[in-house]
Amino acid sequence: MTSAVNLEHPAAVTPAGDSAKERRRLPLVEQFLREQATLTAVERFAQLHDAGEPFARKDYYRDLLPASPPAPGQQYAFQVDLDACTGCKACVTACHNLNGLDPGEAWRSVGLLHGGTVTEAVQQSVTTACHHCLDPACMNGCPVGAYEKDPETGIVKHLDDQCIGCQYCTFTCPYDVPKYSASRGIVRKCDMCSERLAVGEAPACVQACPNEAIAITIVDRRQVLEDAQGDAFVPGAPSPGITGPTTVYKTTRALPRNLLPADFYAVRPSHSHTPLVAMLVLTQLSAGAFCVDALAPLVLPPSVSEALDPVHSLVAAAMGLAALGASVFHLGRPIYAFRALIGLRTSWMSREILAFGAFAGLAILYAASFWTGALAHLLGAAPPSPAAALSLREGLRFAVATAGVAGVLCSVLIYHVTRRVWWAAPSTGFKFAMTAAVLGLATAELTLTLARTPPPVSVATGVARVLLLAAATKACGELLALRHLRDKRYSDLRRTAVLLTRDLRGYLVARYGLLAAGAAATAWQLGAPLSLPAATAGLILLLGGELLERTLFFAAMCSPGMPGGPA
Amino acid sequence: MGASIFDRARTLLRDRSGALTRELERVPGGFGLGQVPRRLAPEATASMICGFCSTGCSLDVHMRGGVAVNVSPSTDYPVNRGTACPKGWEALAPLRSPDRATTPLLRNAAGRLVPVDWETALDAFATRMKAILAKHGGESVAFLGTGQMPSEELALLGALGKFGMGLVHGDGNTRQCMATAVVAYKESFGFDAPPYTYRDFEESDVLVFVGANPCIAHPIMWGRVCKNPHRPKILVVDPRRTETAMAATDHFALRPKSDLVLLYAVARVLVERGWIDRAFIEAHTTGFDAFAARVADYPLARAVEATGLPADAIERLAETIHAGRRVSFWWTMGVNQSHEGVNVAQAIIALALMTGNIGRPGTGANSITGQCNAMGSRLFSNTTNLLGGHDFKRVEDRLKVARTLDIDVARIPDRGSLAYDQILEGILAKKIRGLWIVATNTAHSWINQGDAVDILGRLDFLVVQDMYATTETAQQADLVLPAAGWGEKEGTFINSERRIGLIKRVARAPGQALADFYIFKLIAERWGCGEMFRRWSSPEEVFRLLTEVTRGQPCDITGIAGYDVLEEMRGVQWPLPAGTRAEPSDERRLFEDGRFFHSDGRARFCHADPERLPEPTDAEYPFTLLTGRGSSSQWHTLTRTNKSPLLRKLGATDPYVELSPVDASAIGVVPGAHVVVQSRRGQMIARAFVTHAVQPKQVFVPMHFARTNQLTLASFDRRSRQPSYKACAVKVTLLPDGTRPQDG
Repeated sequence: MTSAVNLEHPAAVTPAGDSAKERRRLPLVEQFLREQATLTAVERFAQLHDAGEPFARKDYYRDLLPASPPAPGQQYAFQVDLDACTGCKACVTACHNLNGLDPGEAWRSVGLLHGGTVTEAVQQSVTTACHHCLDPACMNGCPVGAYEKDPETGIVKHLDDQCIGCQYCTFTCPYDVPKYSASRGIVRKCDMCSERLAVGEAPACVQACPNEAIAITIVDRRQVLEDAQGDAFVPGAPSPGITGPTTVYKTTRALPRNLLPADFYAVRPSHSHTPLVAMLVLTQLSAGAFCVDALAPLVLPPSVSEALDPVHSLVAAAMGLAALGASVFHLGRPIYAFRALIGLRTSWMSREILAFGAFAGLAILYAASFWTGALAHLLGAAPPSPAAALSLREGLRFAVATAGVAGVLCSVLIYHVTRRVWWAAPSTGFKFAMTAAVLGLATAELTLTLARTPPPVSVATGVARVLLLAAATKACGELLALRHLRDKRYSDLRRTAVLLTRDLRGYLVARYGLLAAGAAATAWQLGAPLSLPAATAGLILLLGGELLERTLFFAAMCSPGMPGGPA
Repeated sequence: MGASIFDRARTLLRDRSGALTRELERVPGGFGLGQVPRRLAPEATASMICGFCSTGCSLDVHMRGGVAVNVSPSTDYPVNRGTACPKGWEALAPLRSPDRATTPLLRNAAGRLVPVDWETALDAFATRMKAILAKHGGESVAFLGTGQMPSEELALLGALGKFGMGLVHGDGNTRQCMATAVVAYKESFGFDAPPYTYRDFEESDVLVFVGANPCIAHPIMWGRVCKNPHRPKILVVDPRRTETAMAATDHFALRPKSDLVLLYAVARVLVERGWIDRAFIEAHTTGFDAFAARVADYPLARAVEATGLPADAIERLAETIHAGRRVSFWWTMGVNQSHEGVNVAQAIIALALMTGNIGRPGTGANSITGQCNAMGSRLFSNTTNLLGGHDFKRVEDRLKVARTLDIDVARIPDRGSLAYDQILEGILAKKIRGLWIVATNTAHSWINQGDAVDILGRLDFLVVQDMYATTETAQQADLVLPAAGWGEKEGTFINSERRIGLIKRVARAPGQALADFYIFKLIAERWGCGEMFRRWSSPEEVFRLLTEVTRGQPCDITGIAGYDVLEEMRGVQWPLPAGTRAEPSDERRLFEDGRFFHSDGRARFCHADPERLPEPTDAEYPFTLLTGRGSSSQWHTLTRTNKSPLLRKLGATDPYVELSPVDASAIGVVPGAHVVVQSRRGQMIARAFVTHAVQPKQVFVPMHFARTNQLTLASFDRRSRQPSYKACAVKVTLLPDGTRPQDG
């Protein structure tokens, strides 16, 4: 029951047939349809409760709430008695109803662990909601400060109106707690029914459990930290060491070591986040191209690098701006994107936005610096002295490249701090850096053909050779992921490898197909250097290949979370 | 007014209280509810009984702007005391589904169901049914009812069908859930009378659950068990390691359908060791000696052989029962849906009788009913029994009912109806040619579904009356009558502990949909027997008639003056004869005086030797297929619960089969792989959920999946005609690589 939807349905289909129109309605049919439309019973039986008792359910859960608020160094926490949780899921529906959530939305879920032996089978349902962590990863990752941890109660609250819908918290939370609402463009999550707790009422789930399996308790923060040192939170859950989840799971049972979530072997592709794919690949292209530009004077004769610069920097800057444009499509509420620097202190996303913002500004200045004459002419101003323009350019050249590198580094860390192994810094760093190298070089290969004064053929073939080497290195590096197919344990990386070779096999094949075709076009350049069609095809094919690689980066990721059900 | 520019700028940067925040704001809801979402804060509440299972929880429906906007469990109701299962919390969602039937549908010459008006639909109903009756006689048209309708509607359907239209045969889907308990109780106690009250869950020191998984099927009853302060021993007899088995203090994972031998062996141990209540047996029962002689043939060794349980486990079961001072026995579908369910139920009753565990707090041989009004159907559907638990064959019963209803006694048939399966067989034999199905989904739920679908297809005229025209059965209909659902009509349900409670009209039915009560009245008028039902003017008037019908019966409720009493007393358990008074929130059990309903006041020991399993496993089909409820968020054929996005999320929608790791590795199935489960009748593709919860050589498939009953074998308890859903032979093979699972 989510909203005050009117129960009136759209008018019934008009009965077909001429006879229907001409027929006189039976008076009894009319009468019954009229009676059916009245809700007389409610008027007759509506309850008139004693206004003196604001909450009749209170008696039932007195023992499920702490007698006093948390002292300093303490906070509220959910306590789940696993022995009493028998998987009825009333808590989930109560959360939905009593918080007025969307159809299908609930902030609590119930999973299943199973294991044991033929004679001693064990199954254990696990109810779970937000763990109101000591060090909430959702809050730390949020670029706009849309999370608050209440200093007294410890409740981690999401500020819905502050959220811009970047969904980064859905990556950083190890427990899959914040859920994105596409219709609203924000995430929402459990707040432990803080308004209820504030007046001595129990949270919806606590009220609802027929077995009194869920309670609110007070925990010592120091104790939570201590408990997080061991890896035992609840079987099948991510390590408590990351965020310090406060939920207390207690049981008197000796749980077997082979206890696994019912969805342990159910591997499904994750969301592929197309705008992020475009944003990452294009920022890396742009940063890579500017790095090539910055390094060019070191290896090329000045005449060549100068001939290259104007077009090259223009293309690179345009790609960078396209990337930032793409990133906006990822946001649920892009009009509030300007809030994104609020989280600089903790959020790598804020830092990435700052770095790429600076990068974009510098890139525009730098690209413009080659066209000062034309610009001045356009504005009717005197052109700056060549010396001044040159020094400005030299300064900007390294600043742009540095900002680009910083931005890509922030991108790497955004994913690394989620603690998802598939996104760990070594492999993510490798991928992002090599994308920058491959596409930066491929861009250079193209812009060389567009240079006002054609560069020597050896430069073009040299760039092609380096590009081929980079592409081959990247292709081999990525393939390493498949070695986890042979992992003994059904680890996250093995799941990713399974996804890559099973559900996402088509993407993987296409990814390598495009890479190979792009490499072929590049190799063509060795025989026919400075060919505009070959260079264009090379860039487009390699870009397509990298976009697919990045799609797999998201889709083949195995989201961590609490134990799920057999569904 | 007029926040400063500074404030506005600050809000742009930091916004803690905009529209999105307000959407989730909670405010005191009044009516004893505590805080509720501001958007859904009620202007009134009305409590009514939930329309899913037989627990009979009361729900407070929150009304706003004249419509039901939310639901929460009633706090002051003696059944559920402020709790409900997911189905109850989501009770309004099925009403809001866009695929509700909003107009009658008639199959046209081209074979398509097209919308027609009520007049056309009624004409079609009457002319075609009458034509069949005229040509083939009164036995050629039958009706199938349900345990989902209130008693008033069931009674009107039964009376209209049998007294008004002159039909002989009518049955209901309660045949699929309760028939076994009915027969067992009737024979043992002299009347179909579940003896318990839910307080017994809290007062036992030993609870024995046989073939029951209340944690999933009846979570609110399990909640009552959790409130038992006596640290009770909880014994579960079930082949599967169910949620309830996990929560038990002792689990007896016997081989499927070996329960009768187990119970007899336990009885033998009790007799041998003198652990019986001789005084109670002598004062209040007959037939004990013959029973004792029967169970003498069931030594431990025989039970060990049949059940696969170790001897000491069986002894422990007997010892625990003996050690208990207040032992209650509970059974559900694991017993009822069996080829010898009546025998098993009566063995359970015998254990309670011989140990004197009946009629006292925390005791009883207690069948937990299935549907919200299964008990009402048992008393008032006018199918197997004449209205009010009477007998069609007894002339004095017919006279009494005729007098009470003011109808000609000649209108009352002097024989009972065919059972559900016999009606379907009658169709096959072309004896039955017209069928009227009300609020049940035969084409999904009937055992050996493939045959059932084929049989329905052979009818000359099939009428389906339902909330949805999309059920598998409605899709086969010649005429679909759009019905209002729970929440859109009035009436009473009777729950498992015999508590009669009210349902109310809190929502408007879509389009032309009408309460079944109105539909029956319209059919009566169009049929030409409207006069007979003049007194049946409203559900409450019918309720008064029904109370009068029960006068002098064990289920006498003449003491209930009307709906107001039910409202005021928070439901009333039967019996309540005129002159007695219910107290608010009473919790009463039967047989406290040791008098049973047989004319001699004594209970009977009933017993029989085990019968052969209809389809034992063999080399070709080596697995026993167990079926049952998959989750507490799913109801039967999912007609209603699948309409709620939340309930859909809480139960598996992708078919799966529980398979033991032992068998999985033997077949070469990795967890999550797709397998083919195949019986001699059909097959389904399912994901393998590899778990020790099932024993080797057994598989479990939730009954909710559309294809589960393709596999089951149409075998029945001989006496109750209840289908045996829980034991047929199947084989499991790995789905060949590259085959896509396309069906569920």
